Amino acid sequence: MLTAVKNQLKVTGLSIKYALVREFLNKATFLSNIIFMILNNSCMIIQWIVLFSIKDDMGGYTFKQVLLLWGISAGTYGVSRFFFKKAFELSETINSGKLDAYIVQPKNILLSTITSDIQVSAIGDMLFAFIVYFIYGFNITTFILFIFFCVTGGLMLTAISIILNSLSFWFNNADMVSDVGNSLMVNFATYPDGIFKGITKWLLFTLVPVGIANYIPIKILIEFNPYLLIINISVCLLLTLLAFVIFYKGLRRYSSSNLMSARI
Amino acid sequence: MRKYLFIIKTQIMSNLQYVFNIVFGFIGYFIMLFILFNLWKYLYSDQSELINGYTMTQMTWYVIVTEILWMSLGGRKLCNKISKDVRSGNITYNINKPYNYIGYCLSTHLGDIFVKGLIYTFLGMLTGLLFLKSFPDLTLVNIIVVLITSILATSISALIIIAIGLISFFIEDSGPFYWVYSKIILVLGTIFPIEYFPNIIQKILNYSPVYVVSYGPAKLFVDFSWDKAISIVLAQIIYILIAYSICYFIYKKGVKRINVNGG
Repeated sequence: MLTAVKNQLKVTGLSIKYALVREFLNKATFLSNIIFMILNNSCMIIQWIVLFSIKDDMGGYTFKQVLLLWGISAGTYGVSRFFFKKAFELSETINSGKLDAYIVQPKNILLSTITSDIQVSAIGDMLFAFIVYFIYGFNITTFILFIFFCVTGGLMLTAISIILNSLSFWFNNADMVSDVGNSLMVNFATYPDGIFKGITKWLLFTLVPVGIANYIPIKILIEFNPYLLIINISVCLLLTLLAFVIFYKGLRRYSSSNLMSARI
Repeated sequence: MRKYLFIIKTQIMSNLQYVFNIVFGFIGYFIMLFILFNLWKYLYSDQSELINGYTMTQMTWYVIVTEILWMSLGGRKLCNKISKDVRSGNITYNINKPYNYIGYCLSTHLGDIFVKGLIYTFLGMLTGLLFLKSFPDLTLVNIIVVLITSILATSISALIIIAIGLISFFIEDSGPFYWVYSKIILVLGTIFPIEYFPNIIQKILNYSPVYVVSYGPAKLFVDFSWDKAISIVLAQIIYILIAYSICYFIYKKGVKRINVNGG
C-alpha cells in the first residue's frame, strides 16, 4: 500500500517535472508568463489603495490584512492551477473521450489526468503570494501556516472543480456549471467577508466554501485558533475524498470515443 | 465596406445558435456585479451620500455599464484567436484573401459579440432595476448617444486587443500583455470612475484608453451632458484612428516575419 502511494507520488512528480521542462523550452514565453502574472496581480493593489482612501476599515480588514487575503487567494489559485491544471479542463477531457490515454495506465486515473499539464502563469501567482506575505510581515509560524493554507486552499479549489467537471459523465453542459463554480470561488476570494451579510455570508462558508479556503486562514494567521484549523483541514479532506468518489462513480459511465491519442 | 458588413451579419447569425450559452455565461457577470454592489453598500452609509461626486445609485449603474462593456467584449478570446492564428500559421489563409486582415478580425469579432452585447445589456439593465429600483434620468436621444459611444468603445477595445494579439509576430505568446491591459482597464476604468483618483492621475486618465473604452459611455449613462458627450465622441474617433494605425503598423512589420513550413 505504502509502496503504491510512493510510486504514484513519484509518477505525479515526474509528470509535473516533464511538463515544466516542456514549457521551459521557450524561455521568453515562460518568463513573460510569470512576470506578467505578478504584474497583473499587483494592479489590483491600486483598487484597495483607492478603497482604503475612502474608508479605513474594509469589512473588519486593515490594508495589510487585505493584502494577506490577496496572498492566500493567489497562493491557492497558483497551487491548484500549477499542479492540477487539467482538473479545470476535465469536462473537455471526458467529453472528447481523451480519458482513454490515462485509463490504460497502471496508475491512479484521476491523479494522472489532472497532473498531466501545468499552467506556467500559476508560478507567477505563487510568487506573488509570497511577495505579498513578506510585505504583510514574516514570522516562521505564520510562514509555515501560510504555505499550508495555500496547499489546503489549492486542494479545495481543485476538488470543487473535479466534482463539478465530473458531472460531464452525466450531463452534456457540465463545463458551464464548473465555470460558474470556479468563478464563484475565485471572485469572492479577493473581497473581505465583512462586506457580505446574511445569506450570502452563510453561503460563503457552506455551499461555496470560499470562507473555509480563504477567510478562515486569514483569521488563523491573524490570531491562531485550533478549532478553525481543524475545520479547514476537515473540509479539505472531505472535499478531496468527495472528488475521488464522484469521479470514480462517474467513470463507470464513461465510454470511449475511439479517439486515437498518445501521451508523449 | 460591404464585405465587412456581410462578415458581421454571418457571425451574428451563427451566434444566434448559442443564446442559451450566452445567457448562462451571464451568471459570471452577475456574480461580479453582486460583489461590487455589496462593496458599494458597505462603503456608502446611505443612498444620498456623495463620494467623489457619485451617489451609491450612480456608482452601481456606472459599474453595470462598464461591466456590460467589458464582459460582453470577449477580449481574451479575440487575443487568443489572433495569437493562435499567428503561431499556427493559420494567418496565411487570411492574408491572401481580398480583405484586410485587421478589418476581417474586427468585423468577425463585432459580429461575434453583437448578440452577447444585446443580451448582457438587457439582463444588466434588469439586474440594475432589481438592485436599485430606479433608472437614470435619460431621454431617448440620450440613450441613443450612450449606445453610439458604447459601440465606438467596443470597437476601440477590439482594435487595441487586436494590436496586442499581433504582438505574437514578435513574442510567441501575447496573452500576458493582454492580462496586464485588462487589469489596467478593470482597475482604472471599470470599478471606479476617473474622479476617484488623485488629480494628477485623472489628467493622465483623461487622455488614456480608459476614458474612451469604459469611463465615457458609463459616465454619460449616469450623468449625461452634451458637452461631455461631444468630447467623448471626438476622443473616441481620434482613438479609433490611432488604434487602427498601430494595428496596421504592427501587422505590416510582423507579416514580413511569417515563415510557414508546408501544411
